[in-house]
Amino acid sequence: MTLVEFPAIAVTTAACWGFGSLLQIPAKKSGLAATASWMLMIGGTALLAWFLASYWIALERPPLRTLGETRLWYATLIPVVGYLVEYRWKIGWLKYYCMGLATLFLGINVMNPDVFQKALMPALQSVWFVPHVVVYLVAYVLLAASSVAGGHNLWLKFRSRSSKVSESMSHYLALLGFVLLTFGLVFGALWAKEAWGHYWTWDPKETWAFISWLAYLAYLHLVARKTDVTVLQWYLGLAFVVLLVCWFGVNYLPSAQNSVHTYSG
Amino acid sequence: MQSSKPPQMPSSPPEGFGAAALFTLAAIIAGFAIELLTSGSGITIPRWPANGLFLAAFASAIAAFGFGFREHPVVSWLGGIPVGLSLIIGLALLSLFGGVLPQDPLPAGSLVATLRLNGIFSGWPFAFVILLFLFNLGLSLLWKIVPFRLSNLQFMLFHGGFWIALACGLAGTSDLRRLVIPLYEGKESDVAYEMPTEHPVRIPFSIYLKEFEIDEYVPQFALYDPATDQVVAEKAGAVPEVRKGARAVWPGIATATVTDFRPDALPDKAGNPLPSKGMKGVPFAKVRVEEPGRAPVEQWINGGGPDIKPQYIPVGNYFIVIAPGAPKAFRSSVMIRSESGGHRPGVLEVNKPVDVLGWKLYQMGYDEKAGRWSTMSLVEAVNDPWLPAVYLGFFMIMAGNLLFFWKGIKKMEAA
Ligand code: HEM
Repeated sequence: MTLVEFPAIAVTTAACWGFGSLLQIPAKKSGLAATASWMLMIGGTALLAWFLASYWIALERPPLRTLGETRLWYATLIPVVGYLVEYRWKIGWLKYYCMGLATLFLGINVMNPDVFQKALMPALQSVWFVPHVVVYLVAYVLLAASSVAGGHNLWLKFRSRSSKVSESMSHYLALLGFVLLTFGLVFGALWAKEAWGHYWTWDPKETWAFISWLAYLAYLHLVARKTDVTVLQWYLGLAFVVLLVCWFGVNYLPSAQNSVHTYSG
Repeated sequence: MQSSKPPQMPSSPPEGFGAAALFTLAAIIAGFAIELLTSGSGITIPRWPANGLFLAAFASAIAAFGFGFREHPVVSWLGGIPVGLSLIIGLALLSLFGGVLPQDPLPAGSLVATLRLNGIFSGWPFAFVILLFLFNLGLSLLWKIVPFRLSNLQFMLFHGGFWIALACGLAGTSDLRRLVIPLYEGKESDVAYEMPTEHPVRIPFSIYLKEFEIDEYVPQFALYDPATDQVVAEKAGAVPEVRKGARAVWPGIATATVTDFRPDALPDKAGNPLPSKGMKGVPFAKVRVEEPGRAPVEQWINGGGPDIKPQYIPVGNYFIVIAPGAPKAFRSSVMIRSESGGHRPGVLEVNKPVDVLGWKLYQMGYDEKAGRWSTMSLVEAVNDPWLPAVYLGFFMIMAGNLLFFWKGIKKMEAA
């Protein structure tokens, strides 16, 4: 499976998610529609997971190197968080946001196809590569979900329909996300020591990872201070912006250009 | 931790935040004022033993305040969450400068250089915030350790680990040494260069380079366009690999099929590949090219090397060429001899450093112009005496993290 087949896979997956979501309307009354809806939604994700696995095999290396490859993972994993949240907390709306976000990622990948490139530079060939990146991926997925949940909770509050369960859900997603973020940061440092000789050099990516970590650290301490819940939802909703910069915005910042001239004078 | 409960409603406005934010701001402004007065000279952390003494004195001061004035309102405020939170945000804001502006040396005189925004992590504002941060974190830690309660273990591991990692990591930067050792095949060396000054120093061991080797990925085909100096994308969007049977399609231009492939060969007079017999050869491919409206051509091509002329096939205004594969691994086989006379063989490879007498040796680079034919290898030697302390901090953080995860899951189940 290579990128030639990807647009077809992406369209099929998005269609499964779309029809599955539409079938949720009759699903309230009909058990058959409910089953069909879930089969479609999970089927779409399973198709993507299968593509990811066969792409991995074709590449002969983990598809974790380029932004496009990581977007593929997000598109696969974010809806899973939505499904799990519904399973765990009986909260249904999160999955639509998740599938919507995932469809956006698939769309970006169809518009900007990656080059099929097997080579993996020596520094990336490490036992740390997969744990470090996967832990970060899952952290981002959970924090994206907590951010969406924070935004939705504000909307619920605006309509005077605040939900305690939904507020604790956004909190737990952020808490689990922070745990993984911490592991990702420490794994990254341990790996850097093995690959580059030092565990921390304040390069822009590291610095932004540190800033994002501090942002969620501040969140936890706001919680420990029993800050107003609405403030916390705002905070979670906005904290994700920092993560977005860390994830791909860094590449566009002057710090990444390593050019002295851009700033002199 | 008691506070792992989901957020509660309604709640009191956080107290002490205004003062804490002002306090943090004052520290940052004071730091920038010093930079302004000293034209952005930053701080130089003293080396061992002064940094160790400083850290010990600082920790004692925290203990003295923490135990001596625990009830004093100012001290309890200094060790509280509002101050901690403000400092976390202050740290994030300072890091933001570091994350946005390039951290490179700049000519003195520009505003960025005078405020040392281009070296934020070795400047006074950062140092002040870190010191206050450690003070605040240290106090909160003491008060959770005494009186000791096992239920506070997660707190101690997280906060204690971070204190140790941050304090020792920063205090130890001055003792960190990174040297570059150039090695040449068949030669022995005990001379290294301090970076970035390139000041030469003797190291307490010598390294003999037996062989330097590079493994490459499979070479790739490319359709090269001399007019634009670029490679034309193939139909599948992939960069086609050169191996027997491989086929590349450039729509409307040409189709190429590899009919024979010799990964490691040297050319004879007629340009035909012969086995390289242990010499460093290059990959050769016999390629059959079909162009619309022309008879197919079949011939050997290669990507060239130091004494090997590259061969290619012209098609229209383009050339079908072989591009060498990207480096997959490079390694130096060495013999390491210590001053006392002991010696042992070693293999240095990226991601696989070797420990010698407290130094870690890293495969760093090679002569990139010569590529696979490089007989020079750059090795980096790193000595970081504070590493065990920093790693202790890291492992405490990870242990606290596991506990936090575990408790979070349990609370979630109870919810
Ligand atoms: C700036 C200095 C800091 C202060 C003053 C501080 C203080 C506190 C306090 C008082 C609590 C509440 C404990 C309780 O309710 O029993 C807390 C919770 C916590 N702190 Fe810190 N802390 C600081 C920095 C850090 C750092 C650097 C980390 C991470 C390495 C961290 C991680 C945590 C975690 C994970 C919790 C638990 C939050 C929760 O239970 O929801 N803190 N901190």
